[in-house]
Parts: sequence; C-alpha cells; structure tokens
Amino acid sequence: MRSSSDRPPAWLWPRAAYVHVPFCAHRCSYCDFAIAVGQDHLIELYLDALSAELATLGTPEPVQTIFLGGGTPTYLSAAQLARLLGDVTRWLSAEPGHEFTVEANPGTLDADKVVVLASHGVTRVSLGAQSFHPHLLRALERDHAPQDVSRAVEIVRKRIGQISLDLIFGVPEQTEGEWQDDLERALGLGPDHVSTYGLTYEKGTPLWKRRGRGEVVALGEEQELALYARGIDTLEAAGFEHYEISNFALPGRRSRHNQVYWANEAYFGFGMGAARYLNGRRELNTRSLKGYLQRALAGESTTFQSEELSPEERARETMALQLRRKEGIGRAAFRAQTGYDLDALAGPAIARHVELGLLGDDGGHVFLTRRGKYVADALIERLL
Amino acid sequence: MGEKPPSPLPLSPGGRGVGGEGGQCYELNLIDTPGHVDFNYEVSRSLAACEGAILLVDASQGVQAQTVANAYLAMENDLTIVPVLNKIDMPIARPDEVIAEMEHAVGVSAAEVLRVSAKSGLGIDELFKAIIERIPPPPGDPMAPLTALVYNSHFDTFKGVVVYVRVMDGVLRKGQRIRLMRGATEHEVAELGQFRPAPTACNVLSAGQVGYFMAQIKTIADVHIGDTVTDAANPTDTPLTGYKEPKPMVYSGLYPVENKDFEELRESLAKLRLNDSSFVFQPEVSEGLGFGFRCGFLGMLHREIIQQRLERDSELELVQTAPNVTYEVLTRKGEILAIDNPQKVPEAGQIEEFREPIVRISFLLPAANIGDLMQLCSERRGIYVRTEYLSPTRAILVYEMPLAEVIYDLYDKLKSVTHGYGTMDYEFLGYRPADLVRLDVLVHHKRVDALSTIVHRATADRRGRRLLKKLREEIDRHLFEVILQAAIGSRIIARESIAPMKKNVTAKCYGGDITRKRKLWAKQAAGKKRMKQVGQVDIPQEAFLAVLETDQ
Repeated sequence: MRSSSDRPPAWLWPRAAYVHVPFCAHRCSYCDFAIAVGQDHLIELYLDALSAELATLGTPEPVQTIFLGGGTPTYLSAAQLARLLGDVTRWLSAEPGHEFTVEANPGTLDADKVVVLASHGVTRVSLGAQSFHPHLLRALERDHAPQDVSRAVEIVRKRIGQISLDLIFGVPEQTEGEWQDDLERALGLGPDHVSTYGLTYEKGTPLWKRRGRGEVVALGEEQELALYARGIDTLEAAGFEHYEISNFALPGRRSRHNQVYWANEAYFGFGMGAARYLNGRRELNTRSLKGYLQRALAGESTTFQSEELSPEERARETMALQLRRKEGIGRAAFRAQTGYDLDALAGPAIARHVELGLLGDDGGHVFLTRRGKYVADALIERLL
Repeated sequence: MGEKPPSPLPLSPGGRGVGGEGGQCYELNLIDTPGHVDFNYEVSRSLAACEGAILLVDASQGVQAQTVANAYLAMENDLTIVPVLNKIDMPIARPDEVIAEMEHAVGVSAAEVLRVSAKSGLGIDELFKAIIERIPPPPGDPMAPLTALVYNSHFDTFKGVVVYVRVMDGVLRKGQRIRLMRGATEHEVAELGQFRPAPTACNVLSAGQVGYFMAQIKTIADVHIGDTVTDAANPTDTPLTGYKEPKPMVYSGLYPVENKDFEELRESLAKLRLNDSSFVFQPEVSEGLGFGFRCGFLGMLHREIIQQRLERDSELELVQTAPNVTYEVLTRKGEILAIDNPQKVPEAGQIEEFREPIVRISFLLPAANIGDLMQLCSERRGIYVRTEYLSPTRAILVYEMPLAEVIYDLYDKLKSVTHGYGTMDYEFLGYRPADLVRLDVLVHHKRVDALSTIVHRATADRRGRRLLKKLREEIDRHLFEVILQAAIGSRIIARESIAPMKKNVTAKCYGGDITRKRKLWAKQAAGKKRMKQVGQVDIPQEAFLAVLETDQ
C-alpha cells in the first residue's frame, strides 16, 4: 500500500471518500437527493454492486476521511451494515487518526447498529435531528419523534466519540422562539458539531409543489435572516466555531471530510448518484438505482456525467468554495493549489466588497464578514 | 383605347386592363397606399402620381381619422375622389350612418358614394364604371421626351433596386439608357413591368402608365423618391417638382450590450437603411452605455418596425433608450440648435428659447368619449381647436399638442378611452417655445446620460417621481443600497432607494452540489452580462425604457 507522502497533492488525488446508501423508509418533503424508497428488496443487490464498484480501485486506497451518507445508511439492518462496512474498509483503508462519519436517522438507529459502526472504525455519527418540535418535523415529513434524538445520542455516545446534529431552520410557520428552543435542546445533548441548514425549496420536491399550490408559505427574507443570525449567535455563545456557512464545531471537532469539499480538494465517490473529483475531473454516478445496479454488477462504468474544467475555471471554483469557510481564501495556498494569483482573478471585486463590509482581508486571507455570510451566494457570483 | 390611371387607397400596387362599356378597353393603373400616420409622406407621394383616388371606408367601422387626413391630401393634390363604402354585406354594416359621416367629414355627397363588397364582388362593376366616368384620363404626351416620376422603390437582394414610376410623358423601354436627374446617374433599363397586380414584365411603359423597372442600381440611396427619370439621349428640360424628403420625427439611442458588437450593429443598421431611406442613424457615445447609434424614425410605428427587423435579422443584444422628438434651442448667441438627444441640451444659461415640435392632431371618436379624451388631451398640454359632429354619436376632435406628448402612448390611451373605436391622425405644425428642462437620473450618484429626458417644467416633478418608481421596480437589489435620484441641473427633485439584498446564501454545498452550483453561477453571470453596468449598478435593458411608461 502507498503512503500519503508519495501521492500527488490533495487537490488532485483524494484522501477522502464518500459512499452513498440511497435507501429510505420514505421521502421527506424537502428532499431531492438520490434516494430509493420502497426498493428494500434490492438492498442486498446494491451491496453487491457497491462492492463491485469499490473493487474497481484495484488496490486498497489509503484515506484519511470516509463519509457514509444517504439516503439513510442506518435504514439497513445491522447485518447489512456490517457487510457494507466490511467492503468499504477493505478497499478504503483508514490511515491513523482517520475520521469516519456515518449519517444516521434518529428513528432507525439502535444499539446493535452502533456496535457494528464502532467495530468498523466509525468515529463520528451525524444525526438528522432537524427539529424538536413535532409540528415542524411533520411539515418536513420526518418520521422520527423528538425523543428519538436524545435516545440515539445516548446509545451512540457509549461507543463512538463524536456526534454532530443537523438542524433545519426556516420551516414554514416556524417562529424565532421555536428555533431558539431547537438550538438549546440540541446544545443540551452535548454535540461536538452542529449543522444548521436553511430550508431550501428544491424544484420538484413535495414541499416545492405545496408552496406552488399556496398550501405552504415560505418565510420572508427578513425572517430567514433573523433565524440564521440567531443560530450563529446562540452556537457561538456556546463555544462553537462558525467554520462554514452552515456548520459549527467545538474546537478540534470540525468535519474533516466536509472541509475537503470546501477546500476544493479531491475525493472518491461510490454508490448511486455519488460525486467524485479526481485529477481535476468531476464525475457523477447515475442517479438511477436500476442503472447503477446493472452497470456496477456488469463491471461497467457507473459514471453518468463527467467534466474537466480549465485551470482558470478550476481556480474560480476554488475561490467560490473556499470563501464559504471561516478562514476564507489563503492567498499563498490558493496560488499553490490553483497556479493563479487571487488578486489577478478578482482583486478589484474583492476590494469593492471589502469596502462594502462584506469581505475581510488581512493580507494573507480574504474571508466573509458576518454580513458577507448572509449574502454569500450573491457575493461569490460577483467575484467570479 | 383610352387610359385612365386613378389611385385607389389601399390595395396592392397594381394596374389591370378591363373591358369597358361598348367593347372599349380601359387600362386602370393603381397605386396602393399605407394607412398609418407615420407613413403619411408615402401617401402624399402616391397621390402626386395620380389623377384620382378611391376613398375606401369600412361600412361597419365608419370614417377613421386617417380617412379624413387622406381625403384632404387627395383634395390638396386636386384629385378626383371616388368615395366607396366597402363591406356592405357584413351583418354589422351601418351604411346609411357611415355615408352620413362621410358627408360630414370629407364633404362628399351621399349620391356619389358607391356601395360595394370587395369580398362578394357586389357593386364592383359599378365601381369600375365610376372610375372610368369620373376620373379624368391622365394627360401626357407619349411623343414628348421621357419624364417619369419615381414614387417609391425597394431593394431586392437578387435584382438590386426596384424603382416604381409613373410615366408622365414619353415612353420608357426595356434596354433604354435612362438618367436619374437628381444625381445625374445613367443606367440601362434591364427589366420593366406593370403590377397586374403581381409584377408582370412588359417592354414599354407609356405616358399615363404606372410600373416598375430595374437597372442594376446597387443601393437604394442612389434612387431618390420624387426624382425624375428621363431619357439619357433625349432628356427633358424640366424635371418634375418631386417631394419633400420625410424628416425623422422621433429619435432614440441604440446600443449593443457588448461593446464589441458595435461594428456588427452598424452593418445591420446600414442594411436596414438599404431598403428604407427614411430611417437614419449616426454613431454616438454615451457615458453609461458606451458606443452606439442615434437613430431617427418617422414615428413610433416606424421605430417598432425597424426594431423588429433588427431583432429578426441579427442576434445582437441591444439596449434601446427612450425615444424623444427633435427640439430646437435658440441660444443667447442667436444660433438655432437641433436637439435630437437630451445630451445636446446646452447649459440653462445659454438658452434663449427652448422650442418643441407641435402637431395638429385629429381624433375621430364616439361622442360619448369626448369628455375622457379632452381630459387626456389637457393632461398632455393639448390646446383645444374644435369639435365637429359627424353624427349624433361620432365626432372629430381637433387639438394642437406637443409631439412629445403624442408619440409615447397617446394612441394606446385613445384606444383604451374609446374601447378601440377612436382613431387619430396628426400633421406637423411647426416649433413653438415652451418651458422645457432636461430631467436627469442619477443611479448611485452617477448621472446615467441614457436616462435623461426633456420634459415640461410643470410636469418635471411628477415625471421624475414616477420614473424613479419605475426604475426601482426594474433594477434588482444589490449588495448595497442603490440610490436613485432625479435632478434638474443640480437640483434633486426626487429620490428613491433600493434596499440591499439581506439574505442570499445556499445552505448546502457538498460534493454533489458543486457542479450544479457552478452552472447556476454561470447562468446568473450570463444574465448579468445582458445588463449595462453603470458604476457598480447593473441596469437591465427594460430600465432604459422606463421613461416611456411613466404615465400609469
């Protein structure tokens, strides 16, 4: 096996791998991910296919982070999980000090599954808590109850070191008080990491359709902003570092895997609909379960989309992604990674937005100010 | 064989032979004319080439403002008018009422009016008989040197310029060496024909006949409408009087969104001018919009037609500024400046007198709507001239009004006030002094020259406020508060602001989201490109036309 040192730099060759498990009990109202509902009879076949796709690596790859996401990985039985994790760790060998995250649904996690996770080297569980208010969970069509979250945290904590909680804000009719309460109840469970996601109405989702029919009314911009700001204030006051637009961590507890994305570094991707970024090439696996099974099992490529960016496009994309981070874009690292001078690409635009108080610039780094975070998308668009 | 070329209103240009009474054969030469006020000059040209005019009135719609205007044009040209009531077979026809209107409006007698249905052929024989009996045969001597009036032309991609002529004296032959007297250019007639009504080749056009010829003339600018065609070897001594060149009444700026498209735009405009010499353009520079062209049109319809042709023929992204009329400024030094662009207005201190074009405008409308229309006209600084009742229910209302108040949307307003039944027509009277000022717009403290307009001082505040409100709707929110101001000179008369964007951030950005996000950015960047950036503010094309819609 190769070691880290003789490999190309991290933005070309991955030290990170994402594995996708698409199965879910049902589709949540806001979800537009690559998932499979009512296809449980295909789980075993899917594990075969995933194993076959992993085997295309040829030799086991040393990685520092693995992220098992979904879908709902914990929807699998303990035995299926064990099989899956066995295959994953056979082909993706965790280097010392690795991070291995598994996404979990509070309603489907049990002690047996936690044992399986822990015994395969999982170091971090990301729990989709979303809210502690039954009516908000209903609006999101989450199928767990508020008390499932604390129960799940309890059983995870016995075996696995780090816990992250996902929360959603900006749900129709959600009040600031309810959001404050969600934040506090999440903090009360003692997580290492919290993600707060502003609800997005993705095209084609049940929620999007309901909004179109006027059955739900999206919160106004001012309300959403107030919720977002309250999340930042509350979590920072509790000692969490706001290290990415939607992510907060206690010192030393950032998601190392997700930071790979925001650094615009390389990562492997396995499973239906999974994305990967290797040697400057972005690839996407097919989002069709049948298509994925057929191709992977036949030993054919599961790639459905592939693109290679020009060096300049890559540099601009790096700029856009890195700006989401607390530390923003480091000029020296940026040049090393992209071959471009940040100021040559966007110097005047950066200066303008520094003047507007939306960007900070300490000479070494360019980063979003608090107000800049609120309008990050519009700002990034203007830098590109 | 007798020849009678009358000129009827509207049909395709044509000439045809018909068998007359008693086996005599008559040839009637027809010229079609457009109906819209922008193209009145074209009607005048055609009338000058005729002996008579068929005045067509729709039996259900009744007399239109254009009917009256065209009838008077025909009278001024000493033409015999043959009044015709068309569509009498329609169930909603009201022939007696409309004939009464015709009596009142253009002074024809009821007994003269022919009742026809062009669709069913009803009354057509009587019409031909009337044309032959009433309209005098054309004068003209086929033996005299060739004298032919150019009354129109168009450009054919394959054949070059096609020249429409009425032969006054002499004969025009295929192969003949002819001279266009204005430019003294000589050409050989390659093809000759008559409209029957499709262009049909022939060998000779003789005095009194109407037709067309091609002579390998490359550009339409070489052919002046109103020019005289004569024989190169045996020229006439006396060219025909010709026409007054139509003057553009409305100007607006046309700018490519991308400065690099300037040359391509110039080529497209030049191509349009090939077929339409009444459209003019010249390069101009705007601080806000960069390099573009000042374009002159006969009127708003003409402007719209040109714009549609441009859009059809080229893929250029264009920004068009609000149209304005041509003003005159008498300076303290005694010079008279023609102002076809608000940018050319001199400093207030240098202006002795600011003048604007005035038109006499006639509305023909249901009597029930007179009150509303008068209200509209007084809002538009109209000076009442007179009312004439054509019948108890229909009237002609005449006003004198600044052209600037007419061109924007008066026609639409008339249609809405009269539920579609009103029509209007106007003629240019001349320039009159008025208390005019230039209204400037500042976007984020920077004057956007392309948004300046010339307005009457009394309406400046109101227009300024409305303009800013409209701009506020058109300009997207930015990352900072955008300040909009309207000013006369250094005095700010109105202010609006566009609140900055408050929250605009996508929650999730992980591996699978990156490609999607980048495509979204690219799409949004492309959208931005279609806007004009003034200072740090992106101004969409629609905003430059906001000036037009300030009266809602």
